[in-house]
Amino acid sequence: MSAAPFLDIQGLTVNFGGLTAVNDLSFQVQPGTIHALIGPNGAGKSTTFNCISRYYQPSSGRILLEGQEIGHLPASRMAGLGVARTFQNLELFGELSVFENVLLGCHAHSTRTLSAFLSRPNSETQDLVDSLLERVGLLHERETLACELDFGHQKLLEIARALAIKPRLLLLDEPAAGLRNRDIEGLNRLLTQLSRDDGITVLLVEHVMQLVMSISDHITVMSFGQKIAEGTPEQIGKDSRVIEAYLGKGVELE
Amino acid sequence: MKSLSLDHVALGAALLLLCVLPFTVTGYVLYIVNLLMVFVVLALGMHIVIGEAGQFALSHTAFYGIGIYTAGLMNSHWHTPFILSILAGGALAAVLGYVIGLLALRMRDIYLALATFAFGEAMQWVFLNWEKVTGASNGMRMQPAELFGLKLTHDIHAYPFVIALTALMLWITVALSRSQFGSALRAVRESDVAAMAMGINARAMKQIAFAISAGFAGVAGGMYTLFTSFIHPESLGFQTTILVLTMVVVGGIGSVRGAVAGAITFGLISELLRQALSVQEIIYGVILMGFMMFKPRGLFADRKQRAARQPKVEAVKGTAP
Repeated sequence: MSAAPFLDIQGLTVNFGGLTAVNDLSFQVQPGTIHALIGPNGAGKSTTFNCISRYYQPSSGRILLEGQEIGHLPASRMAGLGVARTFQNLELFGELSVFENVLLGCHAHSTRTLSAFLSRPNSETQDLVDSLLERVGLLHERETLACELDFGHQKLLEIARALAIKPRLLLLDEPAAGLRNRDIEGLNRLLTQLSRDDGITVLLVEHVMQLVMSISDHITVMSFGQKIAEGTPEQIGKDSRVIEAYLGKGVELE
Repeated sequence: MKSLSLDHVALGAALLLLCVLPFTVTGYVLYIVNLLMVFVVLALGMHIVIGEAGQFALSHTAFYGIGIYTAGLMNSHWHTPFILSILAGGALAAVLGYVIGLLALRMRDIYLALATFAFGEAMQWVFLNWEKVTGASNGMRMQPAELFGLKLTHDIHAYPFVIALTALMLWITVALSRSQFGSALRAVRESDVAAMAMGINARAMKQIAFAISAGFAGVAGGMYTLFTSFIHPESLGFQTTILVLTMVVVGGIGSVRGAVAGAITFGLISELLRQALSVQEIIYGVILMGFMMFKPRGLFADRKQRAARQPKVEAVKGTAP
């Protein structure tokens, strides 16, 4: 781990009224890796995630992207910096076509000039959208409204839309939640490809341990707003603090 | 593609009809056509803010009034070329619309509807009481619009300019709707949270939609001054906003052709019911309720949008094994 961290979280603290959701959290995400953020419900994973994607404002602490402080930027600036995210409960543009959903992912790089913004998308952009739809297997649903897709396809569409941003950092909030095992395997392959072939750094919040353990290079474990462990999947699988946080004291895991 | 060519056929037929019309009908019919075109531009403006951007603005008549008074006063006192008067009214309305768009950054849906309704009422009060400018309850008499010595004293004089302006505004609406800017507006309508993640400045989009919509209403007001010589604030109240809303909703919310077809249909109905003023409101109300219940997508919505909607599958929360 000699390379400079891609994402550097330093002393992140988030208070909601009297509740401290995240307490002095620090961790680093190395470039090109798949990094998982796990922990029991209410551990502060999603809050952390929303701070990084700039939807929440931390009470204190620093968020550095390639050494640059981003903790003061609005959420709408992140796409332009190559940071894409998905949403825990899906936030698709429901009444728009599958194609237009992914097209909107291109917004940050396809509307750089006013004249481009006021024109139809050029053929290069349309080709990018189609290739992403093909990649996640939704090209045949191109003209379908997003709200008419089944749940698994909606999840894939959200990932395709995030990829349209041409991200260098992909933030995935529970991408496997609600998916069938078959779809989780597909997701597993897709994420591995994105990391290995496209060099995209991935930070994911996830509860589905089978996915986390098989694809992560590095895992950070949170409980009650604090980091309680970090390491490779092997190290985390054996960590007594992690087992205790998930299952309670005095339980032996074989 | 099939529906696109159908649009072209309809547009061609309409153009042909509009070309033949001045040689075959009386001035009264041309007056009605001029008025319908004003409604088309009003409906297009409302389509942009409600149909595309999803912001429930009910202040449309206020901006329409600003367009009428600005252009009317410039025509009457300065004899400005009417193109400039119309532009000035549209620009003033757009600037004010941008400011009123600030409301959309703080509230949404019914709250935004109420706040913009209140602004519309306040503006009507201004029109009704600012005697020096609007003539208050006496109304205001306007001099005929002029362009380089040409005075528009009859409906037939105004007619070609009204048609040309309507065509221009329709072209702008369609171009905006098909552009990436149109996509960004619809993204804000569907989910401003997700729009932000795409790098779309949702706040700016809402305000710009307000400004454009108000600008359209202002231009519609300017167009109105081309063929009328009198304006009374009584006609610039909430009932006009409701009429335009009915056009947009019954035509098919979110669809340009719905807004145009709705404006023409309801413009005609409102003219036919002119004799029965008190029943008029009731009839609108019944039609609007009927559509909300049985055909909420409207008469002329795009086919794609009329597709049967399946309920969104609820997420089943994943659990850690």
